[in-house]
Amino acid sequence: MAYDLFLGCVIPARLPFLEASARLVFEKLGIKLNDLEGFSCCPDPTGIELIDHKTWLALGARNLSLCNENRGVMSLCSGCVETLKGVNYSLNKSKEIKDEVNTILQSVNKSYDGKVKVKHFAEVLYENLDKVKENIVKPLEGFKIAAHYGCHYLRPSEIINWDDPLDPVSIDEIIEILGAESINYDLKLECCGNPVEKSDEELSLQMIDNKLCAILKAGANCVALVCPACFQQFDFKQRTLNKEKDSNYNLPIFYLSELIALAFGYEPEDLGFRYHRNRPNDLFKTIGFNT
Amino acid sequence: MANKSKSALVIGGGIAGIQAALDLADMNIHVHMVEKKPCIGGRMAQLDKTFPTNDCSICILAPKLSECFRHPNITLYTYSEVQKVDGSIGNFSAEILKRARYVKEDECINCGDCAEKCPMRVDDIFDRQLRKRRAIYMYYLQGVPAVMTIDKENCLWFTKEACRICEKVCEREAIDFDQEDEIIQLDNIGSIIVATGYNLIEDINSNVLKEYGYAKYKNVVSALEFERMLSASGPQGGHIKRLSDGEPPKRIAFLQCIGSRSNRGKQYCSSICCMYTTKEAMIAFEHNNELESYVFYIDMRAGGKGFQSFLSRGKAEYHINYIKSKIGHIDIDKNKNPIITYENLDSGEIKQLKVDLVVLATCIIPPKGIEKLAEVLKIELDDYNFIKTPPFFPFETSREGIYTCGCVHEPMDIPNSVAEASSAAGKAAEIIKRG
Amino acid sequence: MSVINFKLRNEVLKHNASLSYCYQCSTCSGACPVALETQGKYNPRKIIEMAILGFIDKIIEEQQSSVWLCSTCQTCVELCPQNVELTEIFILIKNRSFDAGKVPEAFISQGKAILENGIAIPYSRATNSRRESMNLPEIKTAPVEEIQKIMRETKFEEKIPEEKT
Repeated sequence: MAYDLFLGCVIPARLPFLEASARLVFEKLGIKLNDLEGFSCCPDPTGIELIDHKTWLALGARNLSLCNENRGVMSLCSGCVETLKGVNYSLNKSKEIKDEVNTILQSVNKSYDGKVKVKHFAEVLYENLDKVKENIVKPLEGFKIAAHYGCHYLRPSEIINWDDPLDPVSIDEIIEILGAESINYDLKLECCGNPVEKSDEELSLQMIDNKLCAILKAGANCVALVCPACFQQFDFKQRTLNKEKDSNYNLPIFYLSELIALAFGYEPEDLGFRYHRNRPNDLFKTIGFNT
Repeated sequence: MANKSKSALVIGGGIAGIQAALDLADMNIHVHMVEKKPCIGGRMAQLDKTFPTNDCSICILAPKLSECFRHPNITLYTYSEVQKVDGSIGNFSAEILKRARYVKEDECINCGDCAEKCPMRVDDIFDRQLRKRRAIYMYYLQGVPAVMTIDKENCLWFTKEACRICEKVCEREAIDFDQEDEIIQLDNIGSIIVATGYNLIEDINSNVLKEYGYAKYKNVVSALEFERMLSASGPQGGHIKRLSDGEPPKRIAFLQCIGSRSNRGKQYCSSICCMYTTKEAMIAFEHNNELESYVFYIDMRAGGKGFQSFLSRGKAEYHINYIKSKIGHIDIDKNKNPIITYENLDSGEIKQLKVDLVVLATCIIPPKGIEKLAEVLKIELDDYNFIKTPPFFPFETSREGIYTCGCVHEPMDIPNSVAEASSAAGKAAEIIKRG
Repeated sequence: MSVINFKLRNEVLKHNASLSYCYQCSTCSGACPVALETQGKYNPRKIIEMAILGFIDKIIEEQQSSVWLCSTCQTCVELCPQNVELTEIFILIKNRSFDAGKVPEAFISQGKAILENGIAIPYSRATNSRRESMNLPEIKTAPVEEIQKIMRETKFEEKIPEEKT
């Protein structure tokens, strides 16, 4: 099994450790990842798409034109998945749009017919749960994980076409297979607030404050994510909140791939936890996770 | 005589079927009435009161049930189903499967001794699974015929060849495990009326109910469940209690258009919910004068006679708060109290209301088995699987000689069902009287 | 006094007919996390109402309680009984807002970054050394000229307001 790997902007530049854990996990699963050359920003469905839809379609289609139809493409970022799936949806829904976009692509000698399949890395993991289970050597006992699905991983369901948009289970199921406990909490499906940051920083901060508060109230000791925008919101903003709002947040934030890598037996040092703003060392000590 | 008098076949023993049968019988036409459940009465028997008069439902229904049972021109087949229909207008023949009740209808006096001793507990469908009945049971308290029925699928004798306690305690020796299903052939049927009523969207476990936590949160119930909770003969004896802790609710939110007027459920309007919600809120207020009721709606549809003033009364005399804001989802706090988030359209503020109980006005859908029945009768269904009727003749089906009335072809209230029943009976009689 | 911009409204309707399906039930505003947080100051139902009535210019002018506060969580779209594609409609309105030069700074910065680098977050030396330390392969992103060519075809470049620093 092999997929083209679409990395997007945020992970390779700001959060390379998330990429590292993902590569290790898929290697262990025997799923080959083919690095795409020459990709651009997907483009950001919470950025460029909002100011110029046509540019968004064109750049997105260009990215997809680099992919291999037989392999399909996988991304580590919910935003990129939404864009790529969204571009496919638009092109396949309207011939007019497909023609318009291809006219633009012609100017750079490219074309795209809307046939490349796009998957989120969590989709691929979920489809290979048996293989994941086989490779677990260190079940994540003592981890009380609050799963944050985020928004673009699920919605709009007509485009994403994956988990239930209002009552999802995929990440919870993966967490349980890893031997951890998935904690239910208020506001579980609420947005982390990252996209609002571009328009109103205070509002964005308030939204992540609400989520962190609810997660702690429910007794979770860490969070699992599948989106780098959410990751930045959850990991980076705790410090901001502690400064501005007198809170005392110190909640370790994990990417799903990092959790799986830990369960596969990779050492925390090799996974770049030192680059997290809220390091999980105390958590590991408290729950006696063998490091 | 040139030929034997033709009879009519009425399929469905709810208020529409009953009215049609009585009308035909009073015209001296013999009626065969077939009802799937052990007793006739249908949905109206499940209601506590009816709008807009808030009359006791069973009080209005019961005399009609008795009349149906005793009428010399009506042959009642309960616990039965129409399996086959042949022929054409003026000359149908039908095959009825009469299921064995394993109880002698002529001997049983509905004393209840058998049910008291029966060891099995089964979800009571009449009470919307809010309580358990026995394997030998009376479908509902005032049911007609007033005869017990043994539910073969849950009876220990049929499943494990054990028990038979009911037989031992019955003083009338009315239990008969040797009874068998009967196939009854009916000929010389002039016309047929289909009045098999409706189901509700929660009966098909629709996805759209998930956001409201139906079946997940104990303090979220459907309107028909709430109707049983209000009912004196219901599972709570008429005392409204929350299912989570048995406490009486002091604040109830009624949510309208659950699964109706929606691309996520059914696109049509379920027609009766705006009225029955006001009714339920009024009755609940009569049980508890301090109750606060909140109705969350898109539009309040009150088109019939006396309907609009019914709503005004609700607001003025029963302290019902009508809030125009459809609710998309429900949150729950740690004490299992539902929280409603809504927009106050006057101020534009988003507010949150904590309530003790949520009642969902769920969408009416075609009854179970409608596809099979349509095939047997060779009549067409519409896109929603209701019986297809021409727009200006809503009692006609796609087949001559077969008529319809009531909710099986379109959601409607009791007055309209009864009016349609009489019109269908008139049409059915025309064919029979023509000879 | 507000003026109805029929042309703009019809343009939105042409691109997304679902705008006309709305029957103002306010399921969206009840479900919106931003509406709850801002206590109704940001209100998706109101924005759609104004769009239906043709007051799109007003939406574009009101930067504070504006359409830009939408977090694109799509909960409204998921729950809307009439399949009104709110997020798509807001995107259309935001696109027009950009054309009119009224857009929060962060979006322009991102647009410029992509125009100049092909990606939104250019790689620094620190990025590359961190990648190396984690044994990650070197990334070959898009040739900038290609991206610029496309963004010229879509006329994106012309739309960037000049005076902003």
